[in-house]
Amino acid sequence: MSEYPRRTDPRRVIIALVVVVGIIVAAFAFITWPRPKMYVYTYDSLLMWGNDSENIDNMVFGPFEQQYGVDVEIVRLNTDANGIVSRLVAEAENPRADVVIGIDNILILQDQARQVLEPFTPSNLDLVNTTLVELLDEEHYIVPFDFGIVTLIYSTDAMNVTTHPQLANLTFEDLAEPSMASTLVTENPHLSSPGLAFFLSEIAVYHGILDDDWREWWCSVRDYIDVQEGWSEAWAKWDSDPTRNMMVSYGTDPAYSAHYTGTAPDTAVALFSYNAESYAWLQIEGIGLVKNGPNPDLAKKFIEYCLTEAVQSHIALNQWMFPANLNVELPDVFDYAVHPDEVSPLNALLPATLIKSNLTSWLQEYDLIMTA
Amino acid sequence: MRHDRQIRVLILASPLLVLILFVVYPVVNVLVTGLLYGPGSSLSEVLLSPVTQRVLTFTISQATASTILSVIIGLPAGFLLARLRFRGKSIVRAALIVPFVLPPIVVVVGFLRMFGSHGILDMAFMFLFQSDASVLDLASGVVGIVLAHAFYNVPLVTLMVSASLERLNPELEEAAELLGATTLQKWRYIVFPLIRPALLASAVLTYLFCFMSFPIVLALGQGAYSTIEVQIWSAFRFFDYGQASSLALIQLAITLILAYAYVRAGGRDGEQGRTASIRTIQFGELSGPSRVLVAVYVGVLVVLMAGPIAAIVYGAIYDPVQRVYTLDGFSNLLRSGTGGGLLPMINSVLYASLSTILAVLLGMPLAYAQLSRGRILAELSSMMTLLPLGISSITIAYGLMRAIAVPLGLSTNPWPLIVVAQTVIGLPFSARAIEISLRNIDPTLIEQADILGASRFQRLFFVELPLLAPGILVGGVFAFAMAIGEMSATLFIALPQNYTLAVAIYQYLRVRKFVEAGAAALVLVLVCLAAFLIIERVSGEDAGGAL
Repeated sequence: MSEYPRRTDPRRVIIALVVVVGIIVAAFAFITWPRPKMYVYTYDSLLMWGNDSENIDNMVFGPFEQQYGVDVEIVRLNTDANGIVSRLVAEAENPRADVVIGIDNILILQDQARQVLEPFTPSNLDLVNTTLVELLDEEHYIVPFDFGIVTLIYSTDAMNVTTHPQLANLTFEDLAEPSMASTLVTENPHLSSPGLAFFLSEIAVYHGILDDDWREWWCSVRDYIDVQEGWSEAWAKWDSDPTRNMMVSYGTDPAYSAHYTGTAPDTAVALFSYNAESYAWLQIEGIGLVKNGPNPDLAKKFIEYCLTEAVQSHIALNQWMFPANLNVELPDVFDYAVHPDEVSPLNALLPATLIKSNLTSWLQEYDLIMTA
Repeated sequence: MRHDRQIRVLILASPLLVLILFVVYPVVNVLVTGLLYGPGSSLSEVLLSPVTQRVLTFTISQATASTILSVIIGLPAGFLLARLRFRGKSIVRAALIVPFVLPPIVVVVGFLRMFGSHGILDMAFMFLFQSDASVLDLASGVVGIVLAHAFYNVPLVTLMVSASLERLNPELEEAAELLGATTLQKWRYIVFPLIRPALLASAVLTYLFCFMSFPIVLALGQGAYSTIEVQIWSAFRFFDYGQASSLALIQLAITLILAYAYVRAGGRDGEQGRTASIRTIQFGELSGPSRVLVAVYVGVLVVLMAGPIAAIVYGAIYDPVQRVYTLDGFSNLLRSGTGGGLLPMINSVLYASLSTILAVLLGMPLAYAQLSRGRILAELSSMMTLLPLGISSITIAYGLMRAIAVPLGLSTNPWPLIVVAQTVIGLPFSARAIEISLRNIDPTLIEQADILGASRFQRLFFVELPLLAPGILVGGVFAFAMAIGEMSATLFIALPQNYTLAVAIYQYLRVRKFVEAGAAALVLVLVCLAAFLIIERVSGEDAGGAL
C-alpha cells in the first residue's frame, strides 16, 4: 500500500493556517494600533517644503507634546483642503480629529465646512493682524495660520519684461493672446485651491474692474492654456515643458528658487495691473477646532500654540507662505517674494456673499466652456 | 441531514452576506442619504443638467472608442499568441498581463514619458524632422485617454481571445481543410464561433473598465474631459452629495446592464479541445508578406505596450531633475520613516496577501453557488460577483468610510477597511477563475468518491480542492495583483501609516520624487510579473482564460 501517501488531517491544516494568519494579523494590528493621541487633520504638503521635512513635526510640535504630555499626530491626508472637509463631513457622527489646518478663505464660505467646525477665539489672537482675521472669517470658525498671494509666475530663462513688455503691466486681455495663453499652465479649479483662486481672480477682474462677462476670457483661452489637476502636476509641467513658461502659483516662488539655487531666482512674478494698481488674490489658510472632537480643551491649547512663534517661525522656509503672526521675522530670501501688502487684493472686488451663492454655478459654467 | 443542508446553505451564502455587508449596505446607505437628504442637487436637477449630459456623452463615446481600438489592436495579437510557436512565449504571456494590473497612476507616468510632448517618441520625431518644437503629443486630451485605455485593455482582449483559441480542436480544422473550406469559411464557421464568447466578454469588460475610468481621465483629460466617475469624485469633494449619489445611480444602472451582458457572453459551450490543443506554426513558416505584416504589427504593439513600461524602468534609475543616474529610488524603498518606502511596501504585501486569502476563501463558495442547481442562487451569485466591477470604487470607499468605519471608530486606523476594499475588487477575478476550473471537474470523479464512501469533508479536501488547485492559484494571483495595484479606494481611506506602494507612488509624483516613484512602480511591475510566471510554471494554464 506504499503508493498511497499519508494524508494529513485537513482539520489540522486549517487550524494551523488560521493560527498563523491570526498571529500575523494580531501582531500587525498591535503594532499599528494607535495609542491615545490628538489628531490634527491637514492636507498632504503642510510644512513639507523645507530642508528637513522628515523631522519637521517633531521640531515644530514636539515642545507642545512635552508640555502637555500628549502625542500629537499630524495626519496629512492624501488630499487637499476640500478633501479634508469631505472627510470631516463623513466622520461628523463620530469625529476622531480635534484640529484642522488648511481650510482657506474660499473654502470656509461653504456651509459644509462651517458645519464640521466649532467657532473658537484663541486668547492670543492679538498676535495676528485683525484685518487678516476678519478677511478669513469674522465668526472665527477658523483663524489665520498663514497667508500668501496666488498669482502668475514665469521662468526668467524663457521670458522677461524686455521680450514680453506686457509682463510688467499684465492684463487678462494680454494673457488671452494665443502666443501668451499657450505658455500658461494652471490648475483645475475643482481640484486645487490655487486653481480656484485664479478662477476667482479672473471673475473678480471682469466683475469688479472691467464690468464685463467673465466667460469670454475662458472661451478665448480654452484651446491654448494647459489645465493640470493640481499644483504639483502643474509645477511638473511648467518645469519640464520648455513651451510652458507661465504658471499660476504663489508670490513666494522667487524666494523658494533663490533659496534652493543659492543665486538670484530664475522665477519671477507677474501681477495683474489695472489703472496703475497691482492686483493679486490673497489666500489665507486657517486653523480651526473640529466640532465634537474628542479632546476640545487640548485642541484649544494647540490652536493657541500654533499662533505662537514656536510654530509660526517655521512657516516661511517650510511652507513658503507668510506666517500669520506678524512678529515673526522673515528670512532674507523673502526679499525676493512679493509681499501681500504690495498688492491690492482681488478678493475685495468679489464679496464673500457673492462667491458663496454663485460658486457652484460659476464652476458649472466653467465646465461647460472647457468641455465645449 | 437537515443540519447538513443548513450548513451548506450558510457556507454558500456567506460570500453573499459579506458582499451585502461591505458593498451593498454602504453604497445603498450613501446613495439613499445623498438622494433623500442631500445636501446638494436633486436627481432631476442632475439628470437635466447640461453638464451631466455632456459628461455622460463623453463617458460613453470614449469608452466606445477605447473598446474598438483595444479590440482592433488586441485581436491579431490573440491570434499570433495562440498560433505562433516561439521561445519565451510563457514570458510574453505573463508580461502581457502586467499592464492590466498596473496602478493607473503608474500608467499615466509611463504614458507621459513615452508619448507626451518631449517624451521618448516625441524626441525621436523631433530628431527626425530636425525640429526644436514638440511634434507629437499622444498623451493628452481624447487621444491620450483612448490610447491609455487601449494600453490597459489590449492585454485583456489578447489573453482572453488566445485562451479560447488555444482550445481550437485541430481535427475540426483538418476536417474543414479536407472538405475544401477556404480561409474565410474556416474563420466564419469554425474560428469565429469559437472565440465569439471570449471576444464579446473581453469587449464588454473593456467597455466596463473604460466606462468607470477615473485616474487616467483625471490626469490626461486636463480638466476639459471628465467621466461620470471623475464627476462623482468632484461632487464628493464639493459636498454635493445629491449630485454624487445621482451620478452613482446613473452609473450603476448602466454598468449593471453591461455586467449582465458579460455574464451572458461568458457562457461557453460547443466542441472544444483540451487546453493548448491548437495547431501551432513557427514564424519561419509564414509567407513573405505575412511576415512583414506580422513584424510591423508586433513593432507597433511593442512600442504601445512596452514603451510606457520601459519609460517607468528608465524613470527608476534616471533623475530628470539632477540629470544623473541613481539607485536612490531603490534604497528609498528600504528606508523606514516618513516618506520612506519600507512601510508602504510592507503594507502593500500584507494587505494584498490578506485580501487574496479572503478573495479565495469567499471566491470558492461563490463559484459553487454560481454553478448550483438553484437558478435564483446561481444568477444572484453571478450578479453579486460582478457588482464590485460595476460600482464606482469612490462610492464604495466613501460608503465604507461612512457606514462602517465611522460608527466603529475605525477612521483613524482604517486598515481592515483597506483589506475589505481590496478583497472586493479581487473577488470577481478569483471567483471567476475558480468557477472555470470547477466547471472542468469530471463529475464521475466526484461520483466515485461518493460511491467509495467519502464524507463531504473528505471529498472536498482530497478530490475537489486538488482538482481546483490551478483555478485557485490563477484566481489568487489575479486577486493579489488587483489588490496590490488598487489605488482609488485605498487613496480615499488610507491614513499615512496605511499607505501602500500604489498610494506612495502617487505621493512621490506629487512632490516630484520621480526616481522614488519609478522604483516603487518597478517593484509593482516585477511582483506582478513574477506572480504570473508562477501561474504558468505551476499550473501549465494560462491566465487569460480566467478573466
